[in-house]
Amino acid sequence: MSLRADQIERYSRHILLQDIGGKGQEKLLAGRVLIIGAGGLGAPIALYLGAAGVGTLGIADADMVDVTNLQRQVIHFTPDIGKPKVVSAAEKVRAINPDVTVHPHQEWISAENIAGFIADYDFIIDGTDNFATKFLINDACVLGNKPYSHGGILRFDGQTLTVKPHESACYRCIFSAPPPKDAIPTCSEAGVIGVLPGVIGTIQATEAIKYLLGIGDLLTGRLLTYNATSLTFREIRIQRNPKCPVCGSQPTLTELKDNSDALNVCELETT
Amino acid sequence: MKLTVNGETREIAGTESLNIDETLVTLKVADPLYVTVELNGTILEREAFGTTQVKDGDVLEFLYFMGGGGQ
Amino acid sequence: MTFVKTKLELEKLIAGDTLEVLLCEGEPLSNVPKTAIEQGFTVVENVHVKDNVHKLVIQKREGSPA
Ligand SMILES: [Zn+2]
Repeated sequence: MSLRADQIERYSRHILLQDIGGKGQEKLLAGRVLIIGAGGLGAPIALYLGAAGVGTLGIADADMVDVTNLQRQVIHFTPDIGKPKVVSAAEKVRAINPDVTVHPHQEWISAENIAGFIADYDFIIDGTDNFATKFLINDACVLGNKPYSHGGILRFDGQTLTVKPHESACYRCIFSAPPPKDAIPTCSEAGVIGVLPGVIGTIQATEAIKYLLGIGDLLTGRLLTYNATSLTFREIRIQRNPKCPVCGSQPTLTELKDNSDALNVCELETT
Repeated sequence: MKLTVNGETREIAGTESLNIDETLVTLKVADPLYVTVELNGTILEREAFGTTQVKDGDVLEFLYFMGGGGQ
Repeated sequence: MTFVKTKLELEKLIAGDTLEVLLCEGEPLSNVPKTAIEQGFTVVENVHVKDNVHKLVIQKREGSPA
């Protein structure tokens, strides 16, 4: 593959960078990233990865755009209310960058379909709002050996971790099982400041880009937490947990199943 | 005793050792049922909370579930 | 944009190879040699060829960007 004249202009700021250059840009154009969730986190992730020229973006979400989304889900506009989120998101990404092939998947991720989804991609991003799906993504990525980025937000706090299965700690190394339904407040109940997913999602997108380029140090083995009120970032070293149910030395979780107990942490219609 | 809790120094007066359950109560940790506890870099099993003692100088991290994202 | 195009050509070289670039006076001539040096390449030659055109010879060294 070699860059066209218009691509040389479009990506000139990348090409100038020592760690990217024309070859790096070609890697991005050949890269395939799956974004699960086209909400607060998925919005900046899809916009930035699209703008960066990540050649293939899968976006999975079954939801429709709702007026309460617009305070933070910056990929959706007021006229998009009622439209499937994946359709709205795909339109914006294509408008930013026609180089990108967008695969909108308008369905909920489940134990049945997730392995098929992630198999087609190089890097997976968790931009979901419920623990059932968060644990399912972790398990599927560990079992399928796909690197992925976890992200979570609530009120003024955010957290993110990159997982390289069997090399670095996974989400279950920290949290062994989903919390019971309704145990943890949701964004729709407790609120979230609209700029928060911009910070966390942009970090997740950065990780995807670094992974595709093969540069730098990924956010593996360390959970990054962010508090917007005090404007503090903290990094907590996380070792692999030998008793982790999915990546430990004697895993008890060897096939995917839906974590239905924890489903629906953010009520879907009010997310 | 002095502990480092989520990066900040916390003084617990009047005792030199507490187990994790007692520490969660003393420090008024939110959602003690769902918090993950890392003691000096190692994540603890929930079953061990009653039998694991913290002592002066220990480093504790309380890690919370965070959903959000807005699918 | 002249340096961007130059850099794409430099990426194709191996250490020791040189690239010859014809540059117009003005912005390209002032930018390209400067940026090439900043990015770890060596400017071996910079001569006036004709009218407002200069010839620049840039060498990729061991340790220059890939
Ligand atoms: Zn694990």
